[in-house]
Amino acid sequence: MKIIHKAQAGTMQSSDLMVFLEPAPQLRVEIDSTVKKQFEHLIRRQVESVLQRFSITSGVIRISDRGALDYAIAARLETGLLRACADERKSS
Amino acid sequence: MVVNLINERDRNLARQLVEESGFTFEEEYDLLFGKFEDGELVATAARDHNVFKMICIRESHRGGQCLGELVTALIDSCAYSDIRNFFIFTTLENRGAFAHLNFTPLVTHGKICLLEHGNGLASYLQQHNALKQAGNNGAVVVNCNPFTRGHRYLIEAAAAQVDHLYIFVVREDRSLFPFDVRMALVREGTADLNNVSVLDTSDYAVSQVTFPGYFLKQDDDRLQLQMEIDLLLFARQIAPFFGITHRFIGTEPFCRTTRSYSDTMPCILGPEGIQTIQLERKISGDAPISAFRVRKALRNEDYEALRKLVPAATLEFLRSADGRKLLTTSKNYRRRH
Repeated sequence: MKIIHKAQAGTMQSSDLMVFLEPAPQLRVEIDSTVKKQFEHLIRRQVESVLQRFSITSGVIRISDRGALDYAIAARLETGLLRACADERKSS
Repeated sequence: MVVNLINERDRNLARQLVEESGFTFEEEYDLLFGKFEDGELVATAARDHNVFKMICIRESHRGGQCLGELVTALIDSCAYSDIRNFFIFTTLENRGAFAHLNFTPLVTHGKICLLEHGNGLASYLQQHNALKQAGNNGAVVVNCNPFTRGHRYLIEAAAAQVDHLYIFVVREDRSLFPFDVRMALVREGTADLNNVSVLDTSDYAVSQVTFPGYFLKQDDDRLQLQMEIDLLLFARQIAPFFGITHRFIGTEPFCRTTRSYSDTMPCILGPEGIQTIQLERKISGDAPISAFRVRKALRNEDYEALRKLVPAATLEFLRSADGRKLLTTSKNYRRRH
């Protein structure tokens, strides 16, 4: 799948995260988190595994995390990806 | 649940809450949000383009989920307006609460703190990494609405005094000439100078965020505070990155706001180790050249006068089809800059 337009998902509540996606020529993942020092590598690993599952090879993915657990990260990112990759003509 | 406050009654409740919290209710906002519990407004927040403000939560509801809910609503509303970077002005004691929402401080001035969500400033600077030059560098921040012989004179004189001159063109699209045109005319008008770079200010200088009073009339105290924050941000974040030690300005004979910005500049930049150099404006005929004068001549379609006030590239644009379109707009243009 390919990120074809801007989208976002999630909330800024504690234990949740917001995911912002936009098209770009290359793949870039930016992570901002209240627990960045401790868990950035784990958040990144989780993000990358979802991206791989969806075969995403380009786009900017920005994560603003407030200590979400791994399944929440996967769920929010999946939602964001489905929105960002959706063909707007079909999903009316 | 956080809802849009749209009717008079809800707005008044928000006003009450803001005032009870010790803040001033500001009329300039695009959207106003609130959260009700048992019919009572317990929290409110507003968004003015990319600035979140008047975030107030009733004492009994602090420390819970309210802040997260409000900020989510604010950020969600930005998606519809295609806004990527958001800012919050807050007090020092509340800075921590926003740090937990991934807002990072850009500049602190007295008790006021300007925070940004994400790493917009860092990526702005990174984008311009290739323009970094060693040595004693200077900067001008210009709107160039449009680029005149006066701008050219200021830039040439400034460039002669430093190793490298950075020309920051105001990004905010609130002027008669659109940003792309202003930028292109500055580039063309300075292309022959070999020690200058032209770049945009993004949100970080003379913008809707740092200095809204430049575009909209506001009371003097707020204006003064904005100018100080704008200049501190320049001094502490932008200038060190580019090695800027001098900032150049022209004398301001017309606009009171710009004049007080110029007057404030040495007071703020001086202690941060940046020298302000004010240059006398170039005269044409018997008056200084200004973009205001150019716009007036344009309105009157006085191309003979324009020829004396603007360089060739600007004149060429003014006479082009796109330029002619702006002529129509200019007849109704009453803004200051």
